[in-house]
Amino acid sequence: MDTVVYVARRLFYGLMLMFFVVVLNFVLIRLAPGDPAEVIAGEMGGTTQEILADIRATYGLDKPVATQLAIYLGQVAHGDLGKSFFFDQPVARLIGTRIGATILLVLTAQFLSILIGVVMGVFAARKPNGVVSALVAVFSTLGYALPVFWTGIMLIIVFASWLPIFPVEGMRSARLEGGGFVHVLDVLHHLVLPAVTLAIIFLAQYARLARTSMIEVLGADYIRTARAKGVPERRVVFHHALRNAVLPILTVAGLQFGNLISGALLVETVFNWPGMGTLAFDSILRRDYPTVMGILIIGAAMVVVANILTDLGYRLADPRIRTEGGRR
Amino acid sequence: MSPLLDVRDLRVEFATRHGTVTALDGVSLRLEPGETLGVVGESGCGKSITALAIMGLIPMPPGRIAGGSIRLDGEELIGAPERRLRQLRGRDIGMIFQEPMTSLNPVFRVGDQIAEAILLHQDVSRDEARRRALDLLRTVGVPDPGQRIDAYPHELSGGLRQRVMIAIAISCQPRLLIADEPTTALDVTVQAQIFDLIRDIQDRLGVAVILITHDMGAIAEMADRVAVMYAGRVVEEGPADAILDSPAHPYTRGLIGCIPAIDPALAALDRLPPLAEIPGVVPPLHLLGQGCAFADRCIEAVDICRKVAPPLTGRGHAVACHLHAAAAASEES
Ligand SMILES: Nc1ncnc2c1ncn2[C@@H]1O[C@H](COP(=O)(O)OP(=O)(O)OP(=O)(O)O)[C@@H](O)[C@H]1O
Ligand SMILES: [Mg+2]
Repeated sequence: MDTVVYVARRLFYGLMLMFFVVVLNFVLIRLAPGDPAEVIAGEMGGTTQEILADIRATYGLDKPVATQLAIYLGQVAHGDLGKSFFFDQPVARLIGTRIGATILLVLTAQFLSILIGVVMGVFAARKPNGVVSALVAVFSTLGYALPVFWTGIMLIIVFASWLPIFPVEGMRSARLEGGGFVHVLDVLHHLVLPAVTLAIIFLAQYARLARTSMIEVLGADYIRTARAKGVPERRVVFHHALRNAVLPILTVAGLQFGNLISGALLVETVFNWPGMGTLAFDSILRRDYPTVMGILIIGAAMVVVANILTDLGYRLADPRIRTEGGRR
Repeated sequence: MSPLLDVRDLRVEFATRHGTVTALDGVSLRLEPGETLGVVGESGCGKSITALAIMGLIPMPPGRIAGGSIRLDGEELIGAPERRLRQLRGRDIGMIFQEPMTSLNPVFRVGDQIAEAILLHQDVSRDEARRRALDLLRTVGVPDPGQRIDAYPHELSGGLRQRVMIAIAISCQPRLLIADEPTTALDVTVQAQIFDLIRDIQDRLGVAVILITHDMGAIAEMADRVAVMYAGRVVEEGPADAILDSPAHPYTRGLIGCIPAIDPALAALDRLPPLAEIPGVVPPLHLLGQGCAFADRCIEAVDICRKVAPPLTGRGHAVACHLHAAAAASEES
């Protein structure tokens, strides 16, 4: 199948999915207890009936839910996510200020967990009864079982309180002298603990998967062929075997993206990382429905895009499912 | 002439759930330069393990070389440093495997897989290696080599993949080519082509060949000498004609006894039927006892066969069988 057709089809399915995400979330949120108009009125200080009616009219809350949904869908289709109940700002702009931080966190954690996981898995596979193998086994269970906030708080206690190496929270130091590069370093410094916390959850899984996959690949006939050619063992492992062993990891990495984003939401609140997660958390407490909806939609869109990118990566890595057109 | 390959008393053991089993129990083989040695025997008798031992590719653990010697041109390979073995593999000894479908790496282009072998052993540029890979594809009869050099394995048929494997195996003009059931997984028509190709290459390069196969027709046509293996031992060894015409070991007789060698239909097809069925099965290695491993299936077996394992005796045409030894002795007296 041609790659362009393939991507177009995936995008189409992605849009369908997004449509259901919007409808489902809209209905669920409207079913949740609590009247947003009262919340907004509470923020403003007074709660007379006129004020409530006024608010409902302004935000379109007086119309039937179906009509509200139709209007909302229309807006979203035009890229308009509505206006925040809490901030006097469009939701899109609100998310725009936060999305970068979340993407930075998610991609760093994904990169770390895959890289370290694969390295651990490869070493474990070389010596299935060795120390690394045992560590991977213990780690897989722990990494899975430990709640994110616990890991996060432990890391804060150890690496921010006992050994003050890393900052406790946030993404930037308040006062910082120096040029752009200093700021980049500052952000990276803040990034370490949250990214590690998020990576730990997935690291164990990748390590275990890489170990299994590598052990299987190392037993394959083409590995024997490579050895029979006189290929040095290091090259057998890191060239001939690894290229094949990472294929299932790519697949899982794509599937994990949704979990990664919801994990980021928790990690952000633990470390007060100024991304979509903290915004979502605060917005839920404030009953700021448009913002919550916007974050859900953007989150879903991120997962859809990530999955398409993963599939494209997989097609590059595995010639067997690439197009039949031959070399390009 | 000194032998190119001299395997003596090779013992290979495997650690299994049933304890240590002896996969090769004193295997000896000799091969002169340019000669073809056919190796036959039922599944599990140790043909592939012999080949892998010569390559230095027995998986260890669970495997272990428990004794014996493998000399290539006088150089001892058992215990040789891995660096040295790596030099010999692919350069002096090439190997073709049974499974062409899975023996090539699915994520690399076949041309690169051939060129890699050349680059590993010869001091040439990438371009030169690619040019030679192209030549090799032509040599092994891959049609349209200019296109196929950039193909991935899954884009080629089984027969073409086996040709690519052969190209890899001969890429550095080895002195010894080990073909471990090179045609078992292929269509009948393709099988004959692959055998022809191996013979053609042998003529051209003067390479010695160890041909492991179930195809007695191919043995008859190609082999100078034949070794018959049973349960980890060589039970009969000698010139191909002698063994095919007058097999001495009851097992060998069972294997080739009922081949209709002059069936004109088969002769026209240029091949013979596969090995005959012998009643019974090879005993599992962990259940091998004291005596001759074939005794339980041998209709001629006598007491001594179940008590003492017969040694391989006789010069030229050697046989490991008490009955044969007794017959030979009475003939002489
Ligand atoms: N990794 C291993 N662990 C334990 N036993 C093994 C191992 N590899 C091979 N063996 C044993 O060694 C014996 C010889 O196996 P080998 O693969 O050489 O047989 P073969 O003659 O090539 O048979 P086939 O015709 O099926 O290819 C078999 O009985 C097998 O059980
Ligand atoms: Mg075999």
